[in-house]
Amino acid sequence: MRRVLLALALLALGSALAQRLVVAQGTDPITLDAPLAQDSPSATVVTHISETLFELTPEGRIVPHLAEGFSFADGGRTLVLRLRRGVTFHDGTPFNAEAVKFNLDRFVSRELASPFAFLLSELERVEVVDSHTVRLRLKNPFAPILAHLTHSSLAMQSPAAIQRLGAQYRDNPVGTGPYRFQAWQKGQFVDLVRNENYWGEKPPIPQVRFVPVPEGTTRVALVETGQAHVAVRIPPQDIARLQANRALEVVRTPSLRTIYIYFNTQRPPFNDPRVRQALNHAVNREEILQFVLGGIGRVSDAPIAPGIFGYTAVGRYEYNPQRAQELLRQAGVSTPLRVTLHCPTGRYFQDIQTCEAIQGQLRRVGVEATIQTLEWGAYLQETQRPLAENRIQMAMLGWGTVTGDADYGLYPLFHSSQWAPGFNRAFYRNPQVDQLLSQARISTLPQGRQQLYREAMAQIWRDAPWLFLHSELQVTAIRQEVQGFLVHPTERYLAYRARFR
Amino acid sequence: MLTYAIRRLLIAIPTLFGVVLLVFLMVRLAPGDPAVLLAGEFATPETLEAIRARYGLDRPLPEQFLLYLGALLRGDLGESARSRRPVLEELKTYFPNTLELAVAAILVALLTGIPLGILAALRPGSGLDLGVMTLALLGVSMPVFWFGLLAILIFSVNLGWFPVAGKGTLAHLVLPAVTLGVNATALLARMTRGTLLEVLSQDYIRTARAKGLRERVVVFKHALRNAMIPVVTVAGLEFGTLLAGAVITETIFAWPGLGQLLVGSILARDYPVVQGAVLLVALSFILVNLLVDLLYAGIDPRVRYD
Repeated sequence: MRRVLLALALLALGSALAQRLVVAQGTDPITLDAPLAQDSPSATVVTHISETLFELTPEGRIVPHLAEGFSFADGGRTLVLRLRRGVTFHDGTPFNAEAVKFNLDRFVSRELASPFAFLLSELERVEVVDSHTVRLRLKNPFAPILAHLTHSSLAMQSPAAIQRLGAQYRDNPVGTGPYRFQAWQKGQFVDLVRNENYWGEKPPIPQVRFVPVPEGTTRVALVETGQAHVAVRIPPQDIARLQANRALEVVRTPSLRTIYIYFNTQRPPFNDPRVRQALNHAVNREEILQFVLGGIGRVSDAPIAPGIFGYTAVGRYEYNPQRAQELLRQAGVSTPLRVTLHCPTGRYFQDIQTCEAIQGQLRRVGVEATIQTLEWGAYLQETQRPLAENRIQMAMLGWGTVTGDADYGLYPLFHSSQWAPGFNRAFYRNPQVDQLLSQARISTLPQGRQQLYREAMAQIWRDAPWLFLHSELQVTAIRQEVQGFLVHPTERYLAYRARFR
Repeated sequence: MLTYAIRRLLIAIPTLFGVVLLVFLMVRLAPGDPAVLLAGEFATPETLEAIRARYGLDRPLPEQFLLYLGALLRGDLGESARSRRPVLEELKTYFPNTLELAVAAILVALLTGIPLGILAALRPGSGLDLGVMTLALLGVSMPVFWFGLLAILIFSVNLGWFPVAGKGTLAHLVLPAVTLGVNATALLARMTRGTLLEVLSQDYIRTARAKGLRERVVVFKHALRNAMIPVVTVAGLEFGTLLAGAVITETIFAWPGLGQLLVGSILARDYPVVQGAVLLVALSFILVNLLVDLLYAGIDPRVRYD
């Protein structure tokens, strides 16, 4: 019996390893229809099949992809896209201007109710100029539009397939990408095969399989035994052991998600910037990173994370309890200062533990923080109340700059037009920042935008509407025989440059 | 017998209605706006509104319930808010896998638990008995989560006998089935031992022995048959529990069952799927119990349903 089972197991193993790359991710995709794919497993699979007009490189550059070139006209209110020629969808239908119009119109349709519809909220209409030129008319000049077009939910999918399959499309996606969809056995695997007619560089590995494995320890076991080549989201307690394993490489990649604690900047005591700065000086981020996060993070030096277009380091609040106490004194705060700190449980990596560490550190400068936690749905509801009804003094949240562009990492969070129920939950208002952020939206020159964001972030950093904390890291275990597997800051992982040694 | 079965099924209807109402209220009275969770943190007010309209979340609660009930009577369980697939389709995809795992687990429990219990009962107080009872105690008290991970570590990572996780070959089924079945195995072993010991001490057994029947016949034909009645009850109940409780095991072994679907749906407040899955579990629980009761009549001729 034992021998039979062993043989069976080896058989399963052998067939899995033959030329097929197996990636263990946390969950099964929810849907393979790009505009509806919200979670990273779905977005990852979609990205292999369907491509976007522009691409965000891991370094944060925006490069043309299915679009070959672009130009702004009409003071930035019109974006003209020249499309790549000779590209066909996997079903043989051509990729052209009509296809782009179809996809963009579908994306913003109320009927589809895509959670990412906001990406094109500035879009007024799409016009076909000729077979390979499209014109996007915008309501206002909107520079981040290029970045938004890199988002995986805006991948170009075959109009013919969508029309033919209707609701079944989500199970049979058709794109132009380096891999074509083969099979999806729900809860078990998604199989992709190389697109032999791919317009670009063909991927070296002919087959890719994504398997859903919710339990972190199980994912680790899969990659340790070689039953998977890649395991994503490695639990911190397993990292040291995996690093010691010569068959594996443990890769840490920054994520676009930043974790912070915001202050209600409109109410005492946090309406005084000195109090907010004091708390920033009172927290020892290195200590938290090392002892609470197990090194899985990166101390923030800007309100957004690296890998985002527009990011530059603008500063560090050094750990300095004396300075913190001095600032509190200057602000006329009598200690102990009692505050309530809201914190989610289990939403972000080590969230409540981080809050507890901060609570301890704040105590050293005379700030007594009481931690309060709520279930995630209720937590969101509390934090998004308008000022008059909002009772939160300071609360932890995370923000993933999903578009990879500083506009989305800064405008909704710091522009005064975005006060809660929008995403500016700190009720931060600084006319200078408002102006810089608005200007960066309409400025169509990348260098100019970089400069505007640098200035805006420097000012935000000084004003300290947040207790700046850290950005997350993605930890991935990859077997040594695989080379070139890419973990993208947008929390997608890409197999099409990977090869077996 | 038939009328009994029909009556039992009719009684199940108000039970199921209760389940529907309870689950409906529970998922809706939880704090937080499901539209926010469905739309994601980054959605605009327009998207939220579109999603509320799509899933009827903008209507008053009683109306939502009536609409749901009406659709349910037409056999329509609604559409998953996450995948936008019909809930029925989702359940059809995942439930057979849970059923397969639960059947395998109860087989493990029946095929090891009962024989172990018999062995222990035949030599009460022996080393064998002590060993079986110790194992049973361990089996009952061991957390499934820990047992599963331990099994992976020993039998997959170190010994390499079984695949770590997933579904595919028969070998994939072994570790999850044993893990899921371990509690039931232990329970059945203890149960069998206890009832068999009790039966063996009764007068008719003494009579049978006095008649000069061989020990094997006494134990297997006379004693075991009677001892099995409570064991069957427990096994049936356990099977129902396995169906509903495979969540943890499925998570550990990445088994594509209802548990995985349910956990993901609860976290995302995917109401239609949560309701559909709980309803299905309740329904199978009721059916299993009915089957167990009908089985009695087969085992014990004294039981009559009229």
